[in-house]
Amino acid sequence: MNFKQTTQLIYFLLYVWLISGCTTVIVDEVKHQASTLNAKDSIVVIGRRSGSDYETEPELISCIGSVLGQGENGINVIPENDFVDRLYPWFEARTAPTHIKGLHRLFSYDKVSEIIDDYDVHYIVWVDGNTEKTRGSGSISCGISPAGVACFGFGTWDDNAEYEASIWDYRTRTFVGKISSVAEGTSYMPAIVVPIPIIAPVQADACKAMGNQLKSFFQTD
Amino acid sequence: MIYLNKIFIMVTRLGMFGLVLSLLLSLMSCKSTLEVEGNFPTPVINIIPLNVGIIYEEQFRSYRYIEKNEERNEWDIGIGKSQVKLFNTVLSAMFKSVVVTKNEKLATNISADVPSVATDTSIDLFFKPKVEEFQYNVPDETNINMFEVWIKYNMKVYDDQGQLIADWIQTAYGKTPTAFFKSQKRALNEAMIIALRDIGAALSLRFIHIPEINNWLKQKHSISQIRKHYKKNKSQTELITVQLANNSLNFGYL
Repeated sequence: MNFKQTTQLIYFLLYVWLISGCTTVIVDEVKHQASTLNAKDSIVVIGRRSGSDYETEPELISCIGSVLGQGENGINVIPENDFVDRLYPWFEARTAPTHIKGLHRLFSYDKVSEIIDDYDVHYIVWVDGNTEKTRGSGSISCGISPAGVACFGFGTWDDNAEYEASIWDYRTRTFVGKISSVAEGTSYMPAIVVPIPIIAPVQADACKAMGNQLKSFFQTD
Repeated sequence: MIYLNKIFIMVTRLGMFGLVLSLLLSLMSCKSTLEVEGNFPTPVINIIPLNVGIIYEEQFRSYRYIEKNEERNEWDIGIGKSQVKLFNTVLSAMFKSVVVTKNEKLATNISADVPSVATDTSIDLFFKPKVEEFQYNVPDETNINMFEVWIKYNMKVYDDQGQLIADWIQTAYGKTPTAFFKSQKRALNEAMIIALRDIGAALSLRFIHIPEINNWLKQKHSISQIRKHYKKNKSQTELITVQLANNSLNFGYL
């Protein structure tokens, strides 16, 4: 093995180490009662948007929906936007029920009950949380010259994703359980002429973990 | 020949450098213009059995926020069309019938002109929204990675005689997180739409709970009940009894 091949191998191993070893996910589950889903039943996953300094990302909600709907044992998931739009103004940031008791208020409106029944909704999953940058260091400087643009330096940052899902049984009007998903990861950006971002998929990993746990939540008692 | 080639390469590089520099400078000094665009769903609410006339002043229809603070980026945000679209959608779902009046004179001097219009179209109420204040935040200005929008509305409701029934302030708030590859314009537009949805939600759910409107509705309901009853039984004694009973009535839409 010559010098060039050794260098390439080192770069490859370094790359694999950086990519594979930068995210850790912890999932917790609390289940208060049995949860079963028939083939016809649907669930809806909605993001909480009432936090003052953060907001549950819409792409995280659609990601959880995709994970739940995947595979042979996929669950019918109503897209968040369709559900919230059709039931406007009852599920907006400032009007959505924050407690299970709040659902009772909605039943006093026949039209609301009719629409939810029309969707065959059995469970409502409220996801609260966000992904944020917790630490950043390093520096990258870029310069323009007649030869072109070039960047040099190294940057690194940590991301933390914390999400909690509360599961409500719409039919029995009860609180069924909670699932939390916490992911942490470090991203790197070395720049040698061109910046090479090595991003830790923190939010995507938290989403997959949450989606898979929810899937097992509804399929095992 | 070699010198010519070198000169040619040098000129080309300098040209490219100048092009990149001018492009960067033009981007830095660029004014951002946003015409808010979006769709609003129809609210699922109980209809209030009233005929309502909406008055949109020209200032409301074509409302634009132009950033004048030199320390901030230059933004020109057009809200007029979208807010008219929202109010049309929400108010149409709230009331039995809705008429948009385009009478400029009426919009600026409602008390003088409402009675004649009301007689023609049998309108029960006139609704007049106005933007009092608009504020926004972009992530660079705050500690949170969020685009935020606040709109302070002044709502006025007049009866068919042009008398002011209610005058209240309603705030709208919308926020949207920053995302990779999401442009500032798109993010601000989303925050605007959320804020407009918020005002629509507040208006449709709280309208009848505004104390002055609630009292007016009760009075109107009482009077109509009394009139109906009076047609059947012309006894003055009975009329008073019905009037008293109706004071504690709870209506289906209240």
